[in-house]
Amino acid sequence: MDEIRAAFAIAQKDIRNVSRYRFVVASQIFTPLYQGVLPGLLFGASFAVAGKVVGLEKTIGTDDLAGFIFLGGVVSALVATAFWAMAMSFRNEQEMGTLEPTWLTPTAKGTLVVGRALGGIFWFLFSQVAIFAVGILFFGVHLRWEMVYAVPALILATISLVGIAHLLAAIVLSIRDANLFIDCTNFLFSTASGVAFPVSLLPGVLQPIAFLLPTTYAMDILRQHALGTPPLIDPLLEYAGLIATTIIMFPLGRWAFARADHRMRVRGTIGQY
Amino acid sequence: MNTSLIGADLHAFVASAQSQLRIMRRYPTAFIGQIFWPVMLPAAWVLIGQAYSGGGDPRAMAAFESRSGTSSITVFIFVGYAMYMWLSSLLWGPGTALRRDQMTGTLEAVFLTPVSRLVPLFGPTLTNVVWTAFQLFVMGVAVWLLFGVVLPLDGALLSLLIVVAGLPAMYAMGSLFAAAVLRFGEIGPAVQFVRGALSLLCGITFPIVMLPGWAQATAAVMPPTYVVAAMRDALLKGASPLDVAPAAGILLLLSVVFGVVAVVFFRILEASARRTGMLGRY
Repeated sequence: MDEIRAAFAIAQKDIRNVSRYRFVVASQIFTPLYQGVLPGLLFGASFAVAGKVVGLEKTIGTDDLAGFIFLGGVVSALVATAFWAMAMSFRNEQEMGTLEPTWLTPTAKGTLVVGRALGGIFWFLFSQVAIFAVGILFFGVHLRWEMVYAVPALILATISLVGIAHLLAAIVLSIRDANLFIDCTNFLFSTASGVAFPVSLLPGVLQPIAFLLPTTYAMDILRQHALGTPPLIDPLLEYAGLIATTIIMFPLGRWAFARADHRMRVRGTIGQY
Repeated sequence: MNTSLIGADLHAFVASAQSQLRIMRRYPTAFIGQIFWPVMLPAAWVLIGQAYSGGGDPRAMAAFESRSGTSSITVFIFVGYAMYMWLSSLLWGPGTALRRDQMTGTLEAVFLTPVSRLVPLFGPTLTNVVWTAFQLFVMGVAVWLLFGVVLPLDGALLSLLIVVAGLPAMYAMGSLFAAAVLRFGEIGPAVQFVRGALSLLCGITFPIVMLPGWAQATAAVMPPTYVVAAMRDALLKGASPLDVAPAAGILLLLSVVFGVVAVVFFRILEASARRTGMLGRY
């Protein structure tokens, strides 16, 4: 019970911290719009024939360009939450000098990640509601009610991402140039999950890697229900892949995080970066 | 101003560039990013283009060609992202150099020296040219190794000349941005916004004709628009130096306009910063 309270206290602290910087809050909505959505829409529209993106229809089975881009944004934002809000926030605390006091509290170290996950998910939901509102009002995004069928897949992917965030936090606490590492791996993880284009377009050697990521399955399941696109593989196999990657990633991440914690205590490197 | 003062300022200008080069050498991991992003960002957009074109559907490709003037998505995107990378290193480099000096506490010391104020404003741009050249080389190799596109040698050489022609205008624009540090202090979020706005306006990811009229008019006074268009002409349409000469002329004109505005803007803001004590505050 104490750990749950601690997790919510950490989430509350993170939510309060971000809400103090109004520009940061606004940029969570506007940055994806002008850096991803607008270029994507205009680039896609440059292939349109009589207002219809025939090429996209041939590739994924629908010409709903706005839906394709906005739904890709959901999984992309979920991945970014795991990489930046959950894992990279340890480095931010290290830089502010508050990591050591936090480490001295009797709270389980895993709770520190889970608390950040809760705070990150709050801002993820907040930004997605706002972005989809903009999408519906200005970009003609149509939501199908069937997309709620994809919610279990998104929940499973989130649990798996919390596990991956443990693993990333372990790396962030062990290396010096964490910013570059998180920036590059976040991009690779999102791209390999098929948020911007179907994973079938990835070079052959990279495709097996895509199928090791839980978000690849979650992305495809979400598109199937929300846009009516055909599945990459049998949907039952997709759920099996999602469950399997979650079962592997969560304990693996927790184990790596515990190892990093132990190593930092032995070497006394908690304050070094 | 007499000759010895100009000589001293030139000496300080070179010293300023040397100091930036030394800082660059101290952070070797930055080179990883300078290889990763110029390759991965455009590569991802090329794959997005393949998704949108249906893997080369004739109708989709004809539509794209009618709007962009080319059917080569790969070179179109890589040229656009060469400019994106240039803008990034320009805005995060010289564009924020004064801010970094402010953060490290050296801005006041630099401003106490008797050199012209234009030295700290334009000095870091020399080093930035090294990054730009390195990124262009990396992207040229990537487009060949990843997508099998061999750039025409004459087009590549002409593109380098276009980059040289665009240097003054680009850095004058960056300096205009850098001067804002003296008034506003933290400009990180503004860098993101300006880079995003320029990449939307200047035809980096998609043809400019996709923009509404007012945005196309704005793009027409931005130096990156002309650099990108001329490079695409050189690499995709076999344009000759004579063909891109009008773009070079416009870039020269824009470099004078942006340069004069940046210097005037900088002098006004510097005077204001002296009065308000903003130099040391952040």
